[in-house]
Amino acid sequence: MNARMHKFQSRLQRMRADDLGQFVPVLASLFVIWAWFGVTEPAFLTARNVHFLLMQSAVVATLAVGVTIVLLIGDIDLSIAAVSGVGAALLAVLVTNLGVPAPLAIFAALAAGALLGFAQGAVIAFVGIPSFVVTLAGLLGFQGLMLKILGIHGALNMRDPMIRGLTTTGIPDWLGWLCAVLLVAFAAAVLLRLNRQRRARGLERMDNGPLLWRIGIFAALVSAATATLNAYRGVPLLMLILGGVIALLWWVTTATPFGRYLFAIGGNAESARRAGIPVRRIRVAAFALVGLVVAFGGIIGASRYASVSFNAFAGGPLLLEAIGAAVIGGTSLFGGRGSVWNAVLGALVIGSLGNGLDLSGAGAADKLMVSGVILLLAVAFDAVTRGRNPQH
Amino acid sequence: MSENAAGVAADSAAAAASGGDAPHLCIRGITKNFGAVQALRGVDLEARRGEVTGLVGDNGAGKSTLMKIIAGVERADAGRLLLDGAELAIHSSQAAAAAGIQTVFQDLALCENLDVTANLFLGGETTAGWRWLPRLLRPLRGMAMEQDARQAVTKLQVHTLTSVRAKVGLLSGGQRQAVAIARAIRAESTVVLLDEPTAALGVAQTAQVLDIVRSLRRNRHAVIYVSHNLRDVFSVCDRIAVLRHGAVAGVWQTRATGPDEIVAAMAHGDGGDDGDGAGDGACNGDGDGAGPANPANASPPIS
Repeated sequence: MNARMHKFQSRLQRMRADDLGQFVPVLASLFVIWAWFGVTEPAFLTARNVHFLLMQSAVVATLAVGVTIVLLIGDIDLSIAAVSGVGAALLAVLVTNLGVPAPLAIFAALAAGALLGFAQGAVIAFVGIPSFVVTLAGLLGFQGLMLKILGIHGALNMRDPMIRGLTTTGIPDWLGWLCAVLLVAFAAAVLLRLNRQRRARGLERMDNGPLLWRIGIFAALVSAATATLNAYRGVPLLMLILGGVIALLWWVTTATPFGRYLFAIGGNAESARRAGIPVRRIRVAAFALVGLVVAFGGIIGASRYASVSFNAFAGGPLLLEAIGAAVIGGTSLFGGRGSVWNAVLGALVIGSLGNGLDLSGAGAADKLMVSGVILLLAVAFDAVTRGRNPQH
Repeated sequence: MSENAAGVAADSAAAAASGGDAPHLCIRGITKNFGAVQALRGVDLEARRGEVTGLVGDNGAGKSTLMKIIAGVERADAGRLLLDGAELAIHSSQAAAAAGIQTVFQDLALCENLDVTANLFLGGETTAGWRWLPRLLRPLRGMAMEQDARQAVTKLQVHTLTSVRAKVGLLSGGQRQAVAIARAIRAESTVVLLDEPTAALGVAQTAQVLDIVRSLRRNRHAVIYVSHNLRDVFSVCDRIAVLRHGAVAGVWQTRATGPDEIVAAMAHGDGGDDGDGAGDGACNGDGDGAGPANPANASPPIS
């Protein structure tokens, strides 16, 4: 490899090793897409379209966040769409056909998702079959299970006001602003406090200048989003719930031993095992957590479409968009690198692309081809920056 | 020689004569067969605290097998390990670690995608309170671990390793070796086994790693240093044990021998001159001597 290429590669690797550097590629592609459609399609950046764009991306984002957890350990889960479909079908049957109260039905759907994920994880970890094969079997089997649950019609309506309200409610403008202010204030307080503690302990820390800059940029983004959403129907309740869930998952994957072990196993499973990490149990837990998260995605889907149909979940597009979103976001298919926020940003890239191409009247063919190119670019970037020691 | 004289004297005198304490880790009569192949044929070896014991030998002499047995990765067919005279039952790498024996294998067993701190604490992270949560979900005490990691790295005096937040994948080979060693000594260990620590390193990084090994000696670890590289062995080891055909062909004081003698021993199995029998007495306090009483003076293996 020639020297310049090598230097370029090592610079990319260093960028990805940085906390915020891993977001740069996906943020850049998001910016390019928004700038392009913002200029070419006047309707693209309107409050109404931004609202729909976010709602359209919600299911894919949730599934992408879910699959990120197993991508981190270097596994894959091809059954995410089917499992979320099973969760949604169970929810619909319980609520619509059997009259079970919505909270109970939601709980049952989440439990079913976790159980299916747990079962797959157990087979993968303790029987030793690659996750690709096990979850491919899961993809087929759980699609069948979904059909069985839905019965002969293949679709059920979802009219429960609470479940529908999950995706149709917008919070009042003032509450939206209050949430925005609280979010920024909380983030700023945590960051500044951490920095102060780091200084007190004599640890490496960021200067206050760049830190304040970052807080400022974050505040600007949050304000812009709030203002835009308030101009249409207010900040969707779903965004608050989803934001909370993803923030919790972020915390679990980055600030707990469990999360650290996910990264360790993805980085070097043998080293992790020799360090005394219970690799198999972590893998099972990771797959169970994916099942839980994607079942939640199924509930969101049921709420948004006001129905649960086989075609909305099964067949492939949802699965591929979710995995594509995670990878476009910057999570490595090779394991050990990524974050749930990358998955959210990746889902926004896919959602924006679909939304913008729809607006410009492009056909399904163009959408598929552009999505393919972006996915390929993301994976190529991942492969190039996959950290081999640049000094060797 | 005075050392040989000390060998028949009391234990304390022997310890004084060899420049260290009584043996910390004693290996007695370790035997290991792989099918019809006899990999180890009654190995006897000691390691003292504050001393670096070199273990050299040709390919196939049994160095790796012996390392794995001490590390708990393989089980010996016969023989004993004693730590300060107490017999150890090492049947797993966890048991070895619990006894204070840490091994740095050649592959280092690091996670390149994690930073230095995370690697140092891997599997033994400290967490904050929150006892109502299972341990795996309690918050990591990141800053406390980072402080400890900095101290550990400072203790090894690796000046080139400026940040414990650097991802290990971006470190040089010598720095990685330093991280692996820092992890080994962080875990309350008294015995550190190093497997070819300089094999993949350049000149400057080799010097760095050898400095770290010397700092282990200063911190009173018992170091067993396995290497092919006689130059490194002579520069850092206090005693050199030659393994040949699965048995110790001899043990030499480094300052009383030279590379020619060691090479000859590796090739032909000529016995060493060290008063190794002294340590033997200390280990076998119960009078149950397994294996030859004085390996240093054992006759050369038949070849």
